[in-house]
Amino acid sequence: MTTQNSPRTTDDQRRGTLRGTVDGLRRVDLTTSQKLMIFVLSMSLFGLSNIILEIIPDPSIGPVDVSVSYMVFVPLVMAALFSPLWAALGAPLGEIVFTDLLMGDFSGLAEVEGYLQMFLAVYIAGSLIRNPRSRVQIVIGALVVVLVDKVLSAVVDLSKVWIGVEDAEFVEGLPESVLALEIIGLGVDVLMSGILLGAIPALWLIPALHGKIEPLMGMRPRVPGEPIPGRAPRTPLFVGFALLLAIASFGFAFLEAFDLNAGEWEPDFLDRFGSWFIVVSVVAIALVLLVALILFRLSRTAADTELHEAEVREDVARAEADRADSGRAEADRADSGRAEADRAESPYTRQQR
Amino acid sequence: MARKTHDVLSVDWVRLELLRTAYSTRGGLFARMDPRMVLAWYVLLALAPWFTHNLTVLLMLFGLGVASVALARVGPLVLGLFVIGLGADVVGLFLASFLFGGNLDTLVALAELNLKLGAVSMASMAAFVSLDPEKLSDALLALRAPELLAFGVSYGYRMLPILVDEYVTVFEGQRLRHAPPPHRGILGWRVILQWCTLAVTAFYPIMLNTAKNVRTTVEALETRGFTYGAANTSGRTLRLAYLRVTALDVAVLAASALTVIGAYWVGGQYPLHR
Repeated sequence: MTTQNSPRTTDDQRRGTLRGTVDGLRRVDLTTSQKLMIFVLSMSLFGLSNIILEIIPDPSIGPVDVSVSYMVFVPLVMAALFSPLWAALGAPLGEIVFTDLLMGDFSGLAEVEGYLQMFLAVYIAGSLIRNPRSRVQIVIGALVVVLVDKVLSAVVDLSKVWIGVEDAEFVEGLPESVLALEIIGLGVDVLMSGILLGAIPALWLIPALHGKIEPLMGMRPRVPGEPIPGRAPRTPLFVGFALLLAIASFGFAFLEAFDLNAGEWEPDFLDRFGSWFIVVSVVAIALVLLVALILFRLSRTAADTELHEAEVREDVARAEADRADSGRAEADRADSGRAEADRAESPYTRQQR
Repeated sequence: MARKTHDVLSVDWVRLELLRTAYSTRGGLFARMDPRMVLAWYVLLALAPWFTHNLTVLLMLFGLGVASVALARVGPLVLGLFVIGLGADVVGLFLASFLFGGNLDTLVALAELNLKLGAVSMASMAAFVSLDPEKLSDALLALRAPELLAFGVSYGYRMLPILVDEYVTVFEGQRLRHAPPPHRGILGWRVILQWCTLAVTAFYPIMLNTAKNVRTTVEALETRGFTYGAANTSGRTLRLAYLRVTALDVAVLAASALTVIGAYWVGGQYPLHR
């Protein structure tokens, strides 16, 4: 089965951080249709993998579920080979559209919670894979997807029990047992989803597809060292965005738990806060989401302007160098012409973003 | 609500099921309605059960759900799956609570939750079975949902049966070309391992195929101005011009709203709590 694997180059050729045009013609930024392609591809493949998982029965040993929750390698391949942002936007939507809407499983708020958590997980993990040929980075990416997603939901579960929205199903009055169960569940998830159906297939698939699948989509294969289109910006603003998104997903989870168990809660809680509590919490979640979006926009534009400024600085330096020695006029004129084209092109591409 | 998995028999069965769900426009009341109004109707019926713990109200809303499923002519397979799922849930939970020293009160407590969930899922079945993908995506677009979401929904509905079909072909082909493992191992673990390996390796050709298909689709879309057309207001109005709210829509929505209000009123008169 591994005959399809292309020979692994021992030394990755690093081209260094390229700015602006990649090879004089194309830019690092994706065009609109390329973004759409990545989105659609990631959506349909992840949806397909979820459908296949629906067929497999979910065994469980006692209270611990030993099933595979999703095929991590599918969104990971998309994020590693194309663009983390668009792959992360598409993958959880695929799960909702393909399995939940179509199979009549649509469950309202829980879907939103799942979407936010999965988006964060894939986005962060995909941004960590800077070199699609590096085995270490692929393994880290697969584990990060599962960890981010599952730790977020484990925190939700734990705090549900702690606050008392949901009864502890197991040993009563023993939050430690719940903690232990959550940790065991997390371990099983990391083993089953993260390693068996995450890291191991990804270790084979990502190098096998690298360089083969991109031309089919009209793209250039990613080269280690050059900026990744649509990766998570490494700024404090982005960290704030991630935190707020996590909080918003918690909000959805709590709202849902509140709905289901309001009967048990009602006497003391609703008397104290009144049923306006629900409305207030909905507004709070909406606000948190809004702020998260604004932060995201800000962090993206900050990263972009940084890149753009560096580009302009480079162009200016190049132009000055041109002026300094007019001897090599032939080659340099072509070069500065390219810089001109860059500058002329950038407002357009920025508008597209 | 935690997601319930339908552990079904074969890939083929799922594919057939999906084909039926995606394309079974058997007529029915909601198929003739304006898709935006169907969505509004769905939101109304999906939200209504959550604001009460009164069994009378929930029973009436459940009845409304049954009526709408009948009016929407939901196919027997989807309906059967739902009934079996709900029934198994109730019976299983009841048995479990009975074993651990529960009594009939437990059943009543379970009834509330299951009535709520049943009412909501019947509304979603009625709505989504009656909306064909084109209409659903146009409705989402008309409600100012992101174009990508609208497109994703309609693309998903159209492409999924084909994708599953393709996957099955690749998977079966690979199985044909592989010798079965020489020893089955304890509990047949070698067979299971080979099955799992094939299920994963089948993704390699599928990813390449889908990449090609997606490029064709997206380029065809972009040639027709998908991205810019959706953002352009006049293009949008042109595309959505056929959506029209008729007397039927208003009547159905008003009738449903009245029934919901009536249910709450009757519930107020004859409250039945657990």
